[in-house]
Amino acid sequence: MHPTTLPILLLLGGFVLQLLLARALTPVGKGILATAATLAAFAASLMLVPPSMDGIVMQANLLAPWDGPFAIGLRVDGLSVLFMVMGTGIGAAILLFSVRYMEHEEQGTTRFYAIMLVFIAGLLVLSSAADMLGAYMAWEVIGLCSYSLVGFWYKEKVATDGARKVLVITHLAGYGFLIGIVLIYSRAGSFDWTDPAVATAFTSGVAALFIVAAMAKSVMFPLHTWIPEAMNAPTPVSALLHSACYVKAGVYLIARMYVIGDGQWHAALEAPLLAIGCVTILIGVIFAMAQTDLKRLLAFHTVSQLGYIVVGLALGSDLGLAAGLFYCFSHALFKGTLFMCAGAIQHAAGTRDLRQLGGLAAQMPGTARIWIIAAASIAGVPLTNGFVAKWLVFSAALDKGLLIVVLVGWIGSVLTAFSFLKATVNAFYGVPSRALLGKRIHDASPSMLVGMGSMAALCLVFGLAPQLLMLPIVAPAVHSLGFGWQVEMTWLGILTDRSTLAVTIGGGVVLVSALLGIAVYRLAQAPAAGLVSVYSGGEPLPVGDRPGAVDFAEMAEHAFHPVYALDPDPLYRAIWLRLTRTSGNLRSVARATLEDHPSRAIGLAAAAVAAGVWLV
Amino acid sequence: MNTVLIPLFAGIALGVALYARAIPQGGRSWWGFAAATVALAVAAQLAGHSWLATLLASAAEFLAVGMVWSKGTPEAAAAARKYLTAVVLGTVATTTALALTHFGEVRPAAPFDKLAAALLMLGVALKLGLVPVYFWLPAVARASSAMTTALIIAVVDVGSFCELLTLRETAPWMFEAYATVWIALAVLSLLGAAMLALAQSELKPMLAFSSIDDMGYLLLGLVAGGADGLAGAWFGILGHGLGKVVLFGAVGAAEWHLGRPVTLDTRGLSSVLPVAGAAFMLGALGFIGVPPTLGFVGHWRLYLAGVELGGPALVAALYAASAMGLLCYIRAIHRTWLGPLGLGPLDAPATGRSLPAMAAVVLLVFAIAPVAFGLVPNLLRPNPLHPGANAHPLVAAVLTGSVP
Repeated sequence: MHPTTLPILLLLGGFVLQLLLARALTPVGKGILATAATLAAFAASLMLVPPSMDGIVMQANLLAPWDGPFAIGLRVDGLSVLFMVMGTGIGAAILLFSVRYMEHEEQGTTRFYAIMLVFIAGLLVLSSAADMLGAYMAWEVIGLCSYSLVGFWYKEKVATDGARKVLVITHLAGYGFLIGIVLIYSRAGSFDWTDPAVATAFTSGVAALFIVAAMAKSVMFPLHTWIPEAMNAPTPVSALLHSACYVKAGVYLIARMYVIGDGQWHAALEAPLLAIGCVTILIGVIFAMAQTDLKRLLAFHTVSQLGYIVVGLALGSDLGLAAGLFYCFSHALFKGTLFMCAGAIQHAAGTRDLRQLGGLAAQMPGTARIWIIAAASIAGVPLTNGFVAKWLVFSAALDKGLLIVVLVGWIGSVLTAFSFLKATVNAFYGVPSRALLGKRIHDASPSMLVGMGSMAALCLVFGLAPQLLMLPIVAPAVHSLGFGWQVEMTWLGILTDRSTLAVTIGGGVVLVSALLGIAVYRLAQAPAAGLVSVYSGGEPLPVGDRPGAVDFAEMAEHAFHPVYALDPDPLYRAIWLRLTRTSGNLRSVARATLEDHPSRAIGLAAAAVAAGVWLV
Repeated sequence: MNTVLIPLFAGIALGVALYARAIPQGGRSWWGFAAATVALAVAAQLAGHSWLATLLASAAEFLAVGMVWSKGTPEAAAAARKYLTAVVLGTVATTTALALTHFGEVRPAAPFDKLAAALLMLGVALKLGLVPVYFWLPAVARASSAMTTALIIAVVDVGSFCELLTLRETAPWMFEAYATVWIALAVLSLLGAAMLALAQSELKPMLAFSSIDDMGYLLLGLVAGGADGLAGAWFGILGHGLGKVVLFGAVGAAEWHLGRPVTLDTRGLSSVLPVAGAAFMLGALGFIGVPPTLGFVGHWRLYLAGVELGGPALVAALYAASAMGLLCYIRAIHRTWLGPLGLGPLDAPATGRSLPAMAAVVLLVFAIAPVAFGLVPNLLRPNPLHPGANAHPLVAAVLTGSVP
């Protein structure tokens, strides 16, 4: 067995075992089996790191022969390894979390775990596909997996409506990828990412088609509207969808495009892609601020965060790519953690509505700590990987003199911090809401805490020592895309090879401020835990009160009122209504003229065919 | 191609027979007509590319009309009359075209070459129910049992289309010289049928229109020719046949449960018929051409054919048809099968009959088959011992990896 195919085969083996042992295993047993298969795949993926650090590209056939001369071949380089490690590592943590989370599910656990395994395997095939056709197949397979998983509770309308939206938006946009591939093949006679003939055929138009497909998968505005509707899935599904396996497919595609013709497409599409990324950052976070459903809030933050990642990739420089890919991995860690925390809250409290939560830090201390680390990370607080990721993006933008990008990113960061402050306070602090009174709320189970805690711990590890991620994983990925970037990164992510003095000084100031704050807090004899008045931007609120989720959402809606008109869903609905109305009218005409009068239809066809043939 | 089609037809016949034993599709006369239709279709494949094969295939079509008529209702009789009209005129037109061209081997002098091409187009359009002469197919779908329509599409129509594939090789001028008209016919079917499918509220006619839409795709591959165009048409037609059996079978199971036609007002049937629901979903996704199904193996090549034949404009038409096809099937899945159970606008009581085990097995096998063949399409190599022995040479070349 070739080491390149091993991670995929381990996952598919787990899938087969899930089906074979469906009747023999309990839900917990199925969860353990799925976790074990994914952990084994993670270990096998880690084995691929050393060769990728040496710049070795590993090749193998997964399915050969497949379709005539075409094989499903794998070509594993640094970029592939990044996505393989991310998909299997985070997948394993999420599946570990699922063991207890799904144990009370009465039916469908075999389906759940089997599809989760194929979902992760699909990402691995996508990221390591030797050619575009194989990548497109994996692209659609993960699309089907997400459709099935989002609609896991298929008897509930909200779940199936969400699944429907996922499939329709991502599949319709995904045709851009297919049409692009077909156009390339018709011109170049090849699908190979690295074939020089493909580079010639890869015009800006084709690249734009690829990007449209990537936009839908990676929730770029205006193709992002499926993601908040996909929240009615089991939490592990949301976590996997948002962190590693689904929204990152588009990121992968954009990054992979750089291997085609040395990224020649970038010159024409840099500005539009940057604009899309920046708009997405702001739209996502502004919509997030108005949410009171914890998972919907996180979903809109995914939109915003993906904007940062795409901005990094769109910059097209070595540092930009490193920033985008580091951000991609970091986002997988903190967003997966946040979703699992949200799931743990829902599991314990029976709701994820921020208006009905509060004071959970006392009953769920483990979950609260993990949440705070991940929330700090997404907000870009120093000592976390989120800070390093944002710093890298800002540095790369400054390198290119794009101050507007930095400004947008900075505003996005401030609003993200604001939004997570609301979520954290409303969920974990203050007085428990009336809805929680009388409920026996307990912290997440140990395996759930380990699943999400391990990822939160990595947020800190890669925040303190980002070179641990950068050197073995990110740098080889950047190199595999044809960029000869030398990593000059030290502790806390401080770059030493760039003229980013301003950013470095700024980061230092932030760090020193934070340390001073902690010192003052400690030296001033921190008060005992209890209710205090809260400063909410205006008059301090009375003791025991707090800025509620509703107040906050209303405030955001008031402040950003015009932005909420940028919801593209009404436009999509109007197109659908127009289409169905037109088809209805056509049916009336067709029935009256053709279906009910065959002789008329035959006469018309005969005349048209005769005229056509004689005129040709 | 008969080494694939004969087992395929035999498999479909077996599947339909087992299904019909579990869920009755008609009386003794239906069984007689159905068996004879399949037998003649198989015999036509055994006869190869010859007048005898044409005669046998035409006889199969006439017997398929009997299958529709055997239901005995006025609606079925009306549908059978429409179908008979199409079969008679289609047979006359195609037979005359073949006679004028000595079975495709010679190109007659003008204007008889044009006459032959026009008759062939008209005959093919009538037999396959292309737009604008589709009048019989939705009528048959509405009036007949589910498996009657499935057999007509998966055996009779597939056989006719494969005959056309053979003619594409023996008389290429009939397609290449009039490619524009063929493309127009294909695009009209693609877009027209996709729009009409969207307008249907009843599932069986919707499936019929989606068949017409798919035939438009396949026709494009056939007209484009070349290795990829023909291979696209070949894989596409096989996926078409398998897909229609499972889709009509699932709808038939729902009718069996409800005791009335399935419409978009029916809700949440997967709650009571999970196997049929899963089969419908798999069949629909395969029919749309989503990887890793057999439909995809054909569809990406048909897109390629579209690019080569008509450039961006034709690709845009293909995209529009694909999008409408997806919307149509997804709406059917989400309104009829998924979500909370609701049996209709008036919530009329259902018969409550559950899906018989044999029918469930048949549906599962036909739902999984397109996925299995999509993963290993080389299994559909016409003759594993003698690659390409019975296939179109270019298709064989694609399948054996020896494309020039």
